[in-house]
Amino acid sequence: MRRRRFGTNRGPFLFYTAPVHFLDCVLAEWALVRPRLLRTRFGAWLGLLGAALVWLGSRGTDPLAIALHAGALGAVIGAAFSAGTDADRAALAITLTHPTTPLAVACGRWLAAVTAASGLTIACLLALGWDTGAALAGIAAAAAVAGCALAAVLAIGNGAAILLFGCMTLAGLAPPEEWVGLTRPGVLRLAAASALELGPALWRYRDIATGDMGALLHAAAWAALGVLLASGVAMRRAK
Amino acid sequence: MTAYALTLSHVSHAFRRPWTGRGSHALEGLSLALLPGEIAGLVGPPGAGKTTLLRIAAGLLAPDNGETWVCGIPVRAAAARRLVGYAPETPVFPPALTVREALGYYARLHVAGAARRALVHDAIELAGLAPVAGVRAAALARADVLRLALAQATLGGRRVLLLDETLSGLDPVARRDLCTRLGHLAAIGIAILLAARDVTALERLAGRVMVLSGGRIVRAGSLAALLAERVLEVVLDAPPPEPPPGFRVTATGLEAPLAGRTPEAALALCRAHRLAVRASRVRVKSLEEIVLDVHDAAR
Repeated sequence: MRRRRFGTNRGPFLFYTAPVHFLDCVLAEWALVRPRLLRTRFGAWLGLLGAALVWLGSRGTDPLAIALHAGALGAVIGAAFSAGTDADRAALAITLTHPTTPLAVACGRWLAAVTAASGLTIACLLALGWDTGAALAGIAAAAAVAGCALAAVLAIGNGAAILLFGCMTLAGLAPPEEWVGLTRPGVLRLAAASALELGPALWRYRDIATGDMGALLHAAAWAALGVLLASGVAMRRAK
Repeated sequence: MTAYALTLSHVSHAFRRPWTGRGSHALEGLSLALLPGEIAGLVGPPGAGKTTLLRIAAGLLAPDNGETWVCGIPVRAAAARRLVGYAPETPVFPPALTVREALGYYARLHVAGAARRALVHDAIELAGLAPVAGVRAAALARADVLRLALAQATLGGRRVLLLDETLSGLDPVARRDLCTRLGHLAAIGIAILLAARDVTALERLAGRVMVLSGGRIVRAGSLAALLAERVLEVVLDAPPPEPPPGFRVTATGLEAPLAGRTPEAALALCRAHRLAVRASRVRVKSLEEIVLDVHDAAR
């Protein structure tokens, strides 16, 4: 029996090439985080946010809250600078004429936002005193919020990032019971309570630091849902 | 059997409003085929369906009816994406990236490893982007943005290029340079379908021209056949009060297509109307005039 030599024109295995090509496409998107960090205001905003959080931490704010805010707010900024600018959204049209998929594009940009936010979380905790539980909670919050923010900025633009940033900063750490008590019963209160209950929320991800699997699954579900939604939006934008 | 690089068969598409379902036809039963190495031009008034046709051919838009193949592969298949390159009318690139980085990013979607560098190098050379390779996409001049659009469209050994207004709005020197580069691409067997508002570029480049109007090809043929029609220009001492039948008034006098008549017969008609002819000449009808004729006929 003749052996087939490497380099002959036999096509590679589909189950090998498809995932590897997908990962290549994800990495191509992820690799854009470095020029964006260095050449746009992305790096400056992250630095500013980190400095503010470290300052708050040094004034006695709970390091877990600092980690969660670093992760969530860093992820919103990451999503805004990875996919939210008008030019980046318009550039998707050309990207998707190449052999990539909207899912790979969304995964890569989500990964870029999570990388930046996780870096910020770790840097803040290193400056304030290392806490593994807080770091895990911060990274999980970054993953969940990055998914949600990516879908929102791809669909609406950076206005959505500003809104999400405000929500995370103000309403992030308090559980829904505290917020809904401020308004009268009605549709608005129901909608606000549902959004706070179901959406990515820092009060929920606090428990990841103490090993709550439900909170971790909630974060993972938001990360996956966000990436899927973002890929759907990217596909629509290319048309 | 002829192996076409690009085939569109009875393609129709309408843009519909989401709720009412009403819409306008962008393309109606359009068919065309492009051979490898052929440069074909698409001309027509705005809204004729040029961009829609290119987007369907690129696989970005699914037609309501009809089929599109690239080198025999249905265009919606992932394998076809490796064969067809598309440069949109207003290309936008990630603004933080330099030209080299942007091409590296797109090349990474085609190949991995060291082959990527060769791909980027070739694309830069091919599009003449070497002087601006280190410049950020956001700072590029219009001509260089179009070159970058061409470069990314050629990445990865594409067999079909779909260029939407890539030659429009350029200065003559940049246009001539891009025309030369497109000619080189066609010479190595790449089929090029080029939509152009500025038809003068096509007169130098395209071997075949299709005139679109209302989503249909209303005139098509080789450039030589389309430009075979002759026009008589007549310079008069004074503008005529009323042009003779078949003539139209111009800035210097009159002109008329010589469809089936001799210049002498046309000039005799002018004299019969007592017009003082100072000079006359016969020229070929320009592509722009053909497009305008089609546009006027459609109104």
